[in-house]
Amino acid sequence: MARREDIALTSRLSPFQRIYLLLIAGFIVGPFLPLIIQSLAFRWAWPDLMPGTWWMQQRGKSAIPLAWDYVLSPYSHIWEAAINTVAIGTTVTAICLVICLPAARVLARERFRGKGAFEFFLSLPLIVPEAAIGMALLMIFIRLGLAGSFFGIVIAHLIPTIPYMVRMLTAVYQGLGKDFEEQAMILGARPMQILFRVTLPMLLPGVVAGALFTFLVSTNIFLLTFFLGQGKIITLPTLLFAKISGGTLDASAAGITLVVTLPGIVLLLITERFIKEEAFGKGFGN
Amino acid sequence: MKLGISLFGVLAMCTAQAAWADVPASAALRDGFIAGKLDWSAVEARAKEEGKVNLYYWGGDDTLNVWMDSVVAPAMAAQGIKLNPVRVTATKDAVDLVLAEKNSGKGVGEGSVDLIWVNGDNFATLKQQGALYGGFAQRLPNAKNLEWDPSDQRALLNLRDFGVETNGTEMPWSGEEYNCSVNSKRVADADIPHDFDALKAYLEKHPGKFTYVKPPHYIGNTFVEEAIYAHNPDGTGAAPFQQSLSEIKPEELARLIAPGLEYLKSLEPLLLNGASGSPNYPEDNKAIDGLFLNGEIDFNCKFGLYGVAKGLSTGTYPEGAKQFVFPKNTMIKNKNYLVIPSNAPDGAAAMVLANWMSSVESQASKLKEVGMPSGIDSWKLNKTDADLIASSSPGLVGVTQDEMDANAAPDTNATLVNVIKATWLEYIERHNPAPIAQIVAEAYKTAK
Repeated sequence: MARREDIALTSRLSPFQRIYLLLIAGFIVGPFLPLIIQSLAFRWAWPDLMPGTWWMQQRGKSAIPLAWDYVLSPYSHIWEAAINTVAIGTTVTAICLVICLPAARVLARERFRGKGAFEFFLSLPLIVPEAAIGMALLMIFIRLGLAGSFFGIVIAHLIPTIPYMVRMLTAVYQGLGKDFEEQAMILGARPMQILFRVTLPMLLPGVVAGALFTFLVSTNIFLLTFFLGQGKIITLPTLLFAKISGGTLDASAAGITLVVTLPGIVLLLITERFIKEEAFGKGFGN
Repeated sequence: MKLGISLFGVLAMCTAQAAWADVPASAALRDGFIAGKLDWSAVEARAKEEGKVNLYYWGGDDTLNVWMDSVVAPAMAAQGIKLNPVRVTATKDAVDLVLAEKNSGKGVGEGSVDLIWVNGDNFATLKQQGALYGGFAQRLPNAKNLEWDPSDQRALLNLRDFGVETNGTEMPWSGEEYNCSVNSKRVADADIPHDFDALKAYLEKHPGKFTYVKPPHYIGNTFVEEAIYAHNPDGTGAAPFQQSLSEIKPEELARLIAPGLEYLKSLEPLLLNGASGSPNYPEDNKAIDGLFLNGEIDFNCKFGLYGVAKGLSTGTYPEGAKQFVFPKNTMIKNKNYLVIPSNAPDGAAAMVLANWMSSVESQASKLKEVGMPSGIDSWKLNKTDADLIASSSPGLVGVTQDEMDANAAPDTNATLVNVIKATWLEYIERHNPAPIAQIVAEAYKTAK
């Protein structure tokens, strides 16, 4: 069914639309090409179109592991960084959901004094520069003994992620309306049944989208992680930044860059299908 | 929100408990060892109790990273200490962390940094802020590998870091000398400049084919200092720049550095992209290596006695790269160090690591595998050890050790470096039209 629709859709594309799509694809995929080549190079100097010497030619001749040998070796610390990144991202997402679900429900459905001011207050962390938050937090966290700890970073990550999550969930709650829950109540459902049978399933697509977004934001935060991790807790962004801060991309830096993009790509691939079907299939009962 | 706040509180309490430290024992060991009341075995025993050491170092070099994990970590493990190598993007980050913790009231044994790879203004900052552990270096068993006798001129490199007296608060780790490399496939030997006038003449023929690392990065500062030495109006080279900020008047310093800065200003239009009015100054040594590899610049000036040999083996230098003498008689030579901050949580383990780092075995291994020059003094070693160090060297490419020694100059006093880099930023980067004397006077005020 879906496949037939796809074919029908593509056959209707005008030449302009096709060129446009190709351009977009080029912009997205394009930067990866030189990265992949660089990650396999030993020496790639201007004006050579391709590396003058490849990594495979030098492999074994050099005293240290080169290019992908380095990236995948324990010396690059990339596994440690990847595990930290995913663990922090998951924890942040879970805590963020616990905080934001009730908050969004109230913001979407209730009216109370100072609501406008409160909503503005919620988005403040997006306006204040991360560096300012980071420096101030560091001083506080050092006193509390939280600096350089896993939970210190999790708390710091909640600051820029909560505003996004609250906004997304508020929109979802607004779209949901009270009617379905009232209907269930009239039909004799208990509150818990309503929550698990009606509210949550209907909210799920929005929750998944918000969680995905929070996870991606968390896995990309460099400055706060760097300040509060004190270099002791490394994540993929801090590892990458240390490698490319000079503005020069060598083979191992290119390899690490490619690995850093992986969690995002994998997550998008997994959830894309899910969100599409859930959100537009059954989510709102169309 | 409420849940978040209470969660925060609970976590804060848990971690504060975990961060408990044995403060009196740390202080007692430090004071006892430095005063000579405790011997080395007491340090080793305490280091085993501490069980770990947090070493903060610039992590931009894959070879060094591999060496830390594959050589240093097992050597420390053999002494019952877990090495925790923390790779920082800039040494200043580690210094800032020490000072931030100190300002939050974290004293002896309560911080998070045990040992930092450091020199120059970063050390001067720690010293000025009173954030040093103490004079441990000459009490280490491997201090015997270094020259400490102040009557020997050669001991200056161990006793002074950029002119600032170390008083044994840091242990020399590596020796360095500023030098330049050229791609001999692009530039004929006859065209290679050996002094600043020749460099300018070359750039007039080949505009845009040179640049230097941007101050305040120390590699950039050093280039500026060399230009200042070479243009010293009294012809006394590095000599007057050994004084500290309090010993030299601003007018006098301005007079001494003005010709060098004028030269650098006149060089600007000839630098990479200089013709467009905004020359490209690379941020650090990795960035300038990239420009050199791509042939955007013909000469690459930085610290790295064995930089060419290493760059060729890792592919970061072009084939045909070799070193040359530049600038004659003013190639700055110095050492870099391992320093223990005052609030080190594992002071004894830090001393054990610093001691191991100055052993013949580790120096030879570092020289061979990382290409970092030896930091211990070969004349203090027996013949076998001296030969081991000599044979571990990756070797100079295109210059001889005699040439390097003959053209060496001492570095500038770290307190002056702060004024010089501030003046460079103001006069050259921000195009401040004020006379140099006025800019220097301003920089003096902020430095004090």
